[in-house]
Amino acid sequence: MNTRTDATRSDSAFARVIAIAGKETVDTFRDRRTILVMLATSIAAGPVMLMLILNLLASQVDKARELKLPVVGAEHAPALVAFLHRQQVTVSAAPDDYAAQVRNGDLEVVLEIDARFGADVAAGKPGIVRLVFDRSRDRARAAIDQTESLLHAYEREWGRARLLLRGVSPDVAAPLAVERRDLATPQSSGSLVLFLVAYYGLFAAVIGGMAAALDSTAGERERQSLEPLLMTPAAPVELAIGKWLAVVALNALVVLLTLSGFYLTLRFGPLPAVGIPFLFGSAELARFLIVLVPLIMLTPAVLLYVGGRGRTFKEAQSNVSVLLFVVSILPVVQLFLQRKEPAWLTWVPVSGQYALLNRALRGEALPVFLLAQSYVVPVAVTALALLAVARLFAREAILAGRS
Amino acid sequence: MIVVNGIAKAFGKRGEVKAVAGVTFAAPDGEITGLLGPNGAGKTTLLRILATLIRPDAGAATVDGLDVVRDRFAVRRRIGVLSDARGLYPRLTARENIRYYGALHGLAGGELERRVDDLVHVLGIDGIADRRAQGFSQGERMKVAIARALVHDPHAILLDEPTNGLDIMSTRALRELLRGLRAQGKCLLFSTHVMQEVSALCDRIVILGGGQVVATGTANELVTLAGENALEDAFVRLLGSGEGLAA
Repeated sequence: MNTRTDATRSDSAFARVIAIAGKETVDTFRDRRTILVMLATSIAAGPVMLMLILNLLASQVDKARELKLPVVGAEHAPALVAFLHRQQVTVSAAPDDYAAQVRNGDLEVVLEIDARFGADVAAGKPGIVRLVFDRSRDRARAAIDQTESLLHAYEREWGRARLLLRGVSPDVAAPLAVERRDLATPQSSGSLVLFLVAYYGLFAAVIGGMAAALDSTAGERERQSLEPLLMTPAAPVELAIGKWLAVVALNALVVLLTLSGFYLTLRFGPLPAVGIPFLFGSAELARFLIVLVPLIMLTPAVLLYVGGRGRTFKEAQSNVSVLLFVVSILPVVQLFLQRKEPAWLTWVPVSGQYALLNRALRGEALPVFLLAQSYVVPVAVTALALLAVARLFAREAILAGRS
Repeated sequence: MIVVNGIAKAFGKRGEVKAVAGVTFAAPDGEITGLLGPNGAGKTTLLRILATLIRPDAGAATVDGLDVVRDRFAVRRRIGVLSDARGLYPRLTARENIRYYGALHGLAGGELERRVDDLVHVLGIDGIADRRAQGFSQGERMKVAIARALVHDPHAILLDEPTNGLDIMSTRALRELLRGLRAQGKCLLFSTHVMQEVSALCDRIVILGGGQVVATGTANELVTLAGENALEDAFVRLLGSGEGLAA
């Protein structure tokens, strides 16, 4: 009788792995709360942050454009004031305590025209104007720079007019023409947005499968369903691979949703008119996915191992938080290390991916050898972690912790 | 047929906790064999060894001639185990819980569905079969766990304290099921510390105490052996004290 039934049954490890992965996937998606939190964080959080930051940038740009300039002694240089008016600057009379107001941040910059301005100019000497500002205030920097460049522009215009009056070409006095080509595309404020997109992409790949990985290991132990599972024909390594596949699929989905969120926001979102210092189109989306594949594979394997060591979901969670901290701090460290990144960094998981994501965002090509480098360590660690998970499942101690 | 020969297993860093210390007995096909013993007698450890979960330090055990260490995957196909740990997946329905184990045993398609349907019917869980296991009562959980253990139609069936936490109706239904399986020629081995279970069901009793076999025989044989009138008295006499019975 047993030979009859056995004959109709398959003994396919592949079929078992698929059955395990399928069950874990169904199980995860039935957990409505976890799925909702996951979707909320992956789809919404990134784009919302992006909008907030872009709007902040836009308000700074607007502020710079509508320069308000309090002037002391406007009557001494009517031509200069007229020039400022022509440049759309709102000129006003400065209050008496302007120095104090600049110091406490109420005023960003004040133009002080010397009382002897008219007399000096008439005598052929340079007229004196003073800019009163507080360099330590970041917010004022745009206004200060703008006022300075306006004054320089006025100076040039005035000088050219004088030379022309004397029959000299203005080019004689300007032997050097400085043209600016800024190659550091992601400048200060722009690099924050850049950092955000790369960081969120990275984070999605790390955190996407966390709940599922812990539930299918520590959760399985906690609800005492692991022991019966270990008595089935499924070998420990099949269990490890099946569970891993399910978490990897979920992780990939979370990453895809997160990146799609960015893609759609940058493409169709009501973005303020601010120069975004990078492109994030479908090509960048694809590059991001290619860069993140190693992490999408690696983190579930590590999480399964950490989860498998925990007797309960809670215990596993607190172990994982240490891991999460390290992973989340790495890109921040890289952001503040202003130096050029060392070449070996591409070998390091997380750091390597972050560096490559930045490259992709800057529109640079991703050389195949760099990608290959960034794959090596994660693939090896994934394999090791899965073997470790299988060993964990095969250990008798996994049944302990209870009577 | 389950044959246990001199099995020993110790736990702890230096093996100072001897859970099972040289147990030998046989559980023939077509019979229900009861492992009777107080808490801590080594019943669960013994069943885990037979279920291939842990390896014995010494001795050997076979299921239908297959060694539980060397041929453990072949053994797993022939045994159905209701272990001490019997957690279900709370977000899966009863049917899905059973089906998962069927799939792991290599069942698929129509055969798997037929098998699941049969068990759902036999165990009388039609009403809850498509509900999630989340809110199941202890009895309902137990029935699903039994169905899960039997889904691949195993030849040998191991049950660790199967009536724990069951009400009278469920206990009776379980007894009926086990008798039905015995009639099919299966080899049943179940552990318990409840005396009524043994006398109501078992063809043969193995009394364990302190990790060793204290006595073997039918209920009547044991009573005669101990010179007592009731099995419970025989049990206490054979163990040499009242240890564990209060539990």
